[in-house]
Amino acid sequence: MEEALLRAVLFGTPLLLACLGALLSERGGVVNLGVEGMMALSALVAFAVGLKVHPALGVLAGMGVGSLLGLFLGVFAVSLRANQFVAGLALAALGLGASGLLGKRYEGTPLPNPLPEGMLAVLALILALGLHLLLSRTRFGLYLRSVGENPKAADLFGVSVDGVRYLALALGGGMIGLAGAYLSLAYRPSWTDGMTAGLGWVAIALVILAAWQPLRAILGAYLFGLLFFLQFRLQGSVPIPSEAFAAMPYLLVILVLALSGRARAPKALGQPFDRGR
Amino acid sequence: MRRILGLLLLALGLAWAQGDKLKACFIYVGPIGDAGWTYAHDVGRKKAEAALPWLETRYVESVPEAQALPVIDRFVKEGCQVIFATSFGYMEAVLEGAKKYPNVIFAHATGIKRAPNVATYMADFYQVYYLNGLAAGALSKTGKVGYVAAFPIPEVKRHINAFTLGVRAVNPKTQVLVRWINAWYDPAKAREATEALLAQGADVFAFTEDTPTVIQTAAKKGAYAFGHYTPMLKFAPDHVVSGQIVHWDVIYIDFLKKVKEGVYTPKNLENVDYFWLLQHKAVEMGADYGVPINPKHVPLLKKAQMTVGGKKVSVYDRIMALLKDMQSPKPAFDPFTGPIQDRKGGVRIPAGKKATLEELLTMEWAAPGVVGDWPGEPK
Repeated sequence: MEEALLRAVLFGTPLLLACLGALLSERGGVVNLGVEGMMALSALVAFAVGLKVHPALGVLAGMGVGSLLGLFLGVFAVSLRANQFVAGLALAALGLGASGLLGKRYEGTPLPNPLPEGMLAVLALILALGLHLLLSRTRFGLYLRSVGENPKAADLFGVSVDGVRYLALALGGGMIGLAGAYLSLAYRPSWTDGMTAGLGWVAIALVILAAWQPLRAILGAYLFGLLFFLQFRLQGSVPIPSEAFAAMPYLLVILVLALSGRARAPKALGQPFDRGR
Repeated sequence: MRRILGLLLLALGLAWAQGDKLKACFIYVGPIGDAGWTYAHDVGRKKAEAALPWLETRYVESVPEAQALPVIDRFVKEGCQVIFATSFGYMEAVLEGAKKYPNVIFAHATGIKRAPNVATYMADFYQVYYLNGLAAGALSKTGKVGYVAAFPIPEVKRHINAFTLGVRAVNPKTQVLVRWINAWYDPAKAREATEALLAQGADVFAFTEDTPTVIQTAAKKGAYAFGHYTPMLKFAPDHVVSGQIVHWDVIYIDFLKKVKEGVYTPKNLENVDYFWLLQHKAVEMGADYGVPINPKHVPLLKKAQMTVGGKKVSVYDRIMALLKDMQSPKPAFDPFTGPIQDRKGGVRIPAGKKATLEELLTMEWAAPGVVGDWPGEPK
């Protein structure tokens, strides 16, 4: 039982971090479908720096890369007012492709001094609480939410819609980068092409499951981690075929989504803001 | 018209046979950077190119199984004379392509269907798995050995069975706990499956997944592990005991040489099937190249005893003797020699008989000692 809870937290941590990162920008009205690629590239850079310099610096490098990619998405999704879904998908493909291409030389190299997972798990929890406070208690949180709900009104009140959205993408990108760094420096201290293996997409779904609330994201991520562990822990001891187990976490997410009713998304989500119109 | 075309094709074929460069092209199912299956094939390709001065190669990676035919079209247009397709799922595309291009030689890895211009090949691990099983049986203190398995297909089942037969030859009470992840490549699933097995008490691990995740996870808790596909000793130098290592280059070089010499033509491949084992040096038992057993664990295996033909021998000596035998041109020992029953008690291989190639390639039953779900298990 303790083992299951521990696994729920340790496997849930990268999901939680990536989910928080996507959640932050979505509260500001920008959908980020690039999470998978952002995580992959951050994982690679974090690993490279962790291997050559120090794992702690690798974490910072991973977060930095995540932030830069967030800003990069902002250029298209905020400034150029491109379709956010297309821009995000392109970023996902770009990140995955670039990490595969640049990472070949790190293939088959172990990381001699990995980071403790527990430390990063605690950090993720603190970040979730911090994000909750940021959104609910601070001026920036108010601006961010207003930009996500009604950018026109926010603009009239003198809030820089683009500026707030860029900041949200950079901060969220940092968290997504941290999720990537967690994977390659702690969870599985080595690097292989495509090591994110779909976690980024799950994180995007978790944002909806969490109803755009950081505290619910904690529960969602850990629930997913628990189910993921249990599918292997229970396999063979209960008469359910392994294929059904593999689908279980996803089925449960759908079930929870269906039961959680209409979680309200930020009103301006996915809509580029153009002052002239 | 047809005759002229035929003559033209024949002339083309002759021209290529006499040309100095032979062009061989590879279709990979995964990225070269996967550290597993595709990576190993690419190492084989590079070694063949280094060994054969007249060889020119080309490859396309991460080709989805439904996209294989367009890649074949492209390769033929670029003048590829030999095309290696390295995934089971390419089977239909290869057969279709072979019909479309009767003068191109195709070789399909892990395939089971051949044609006049389609050969099949495979470097198989079942002997190595048996030997690793002996070591695993000797090292487990809890009596539980963990196996993180990819897909429930005959190849993987054959390997788990051979491994389990080895484990039980040392200690008939040891169980092999199998967990399926239903993926060839998924580090997160491999990690959590290993954690689940550790939580259930497994203290020795083997696996089929294309990353060293199982090894890294097991080592953290002090459990032993056997590498898979490529040398993985460096990922846990104190905990990797041995493993299975592939040498695709041995097959590629042999095959291409025979094409170059005109032994293999687009007309006579119907019966060309490589199922190469230890004796052909297509596979190796080892924690690293040339290291059959991690020296750190040799004393443990020397101390461990097992009974062979009523006599006590050390497990280490048994492994080394069998390894030597299996590497010889005519091995006397085969892991799948009867009497062998499945875990439900049905006789699978009668006493004195050896499993045929057909039986090996279609193996669905589970060996005694295998614990866990086993999709497709015969009644």
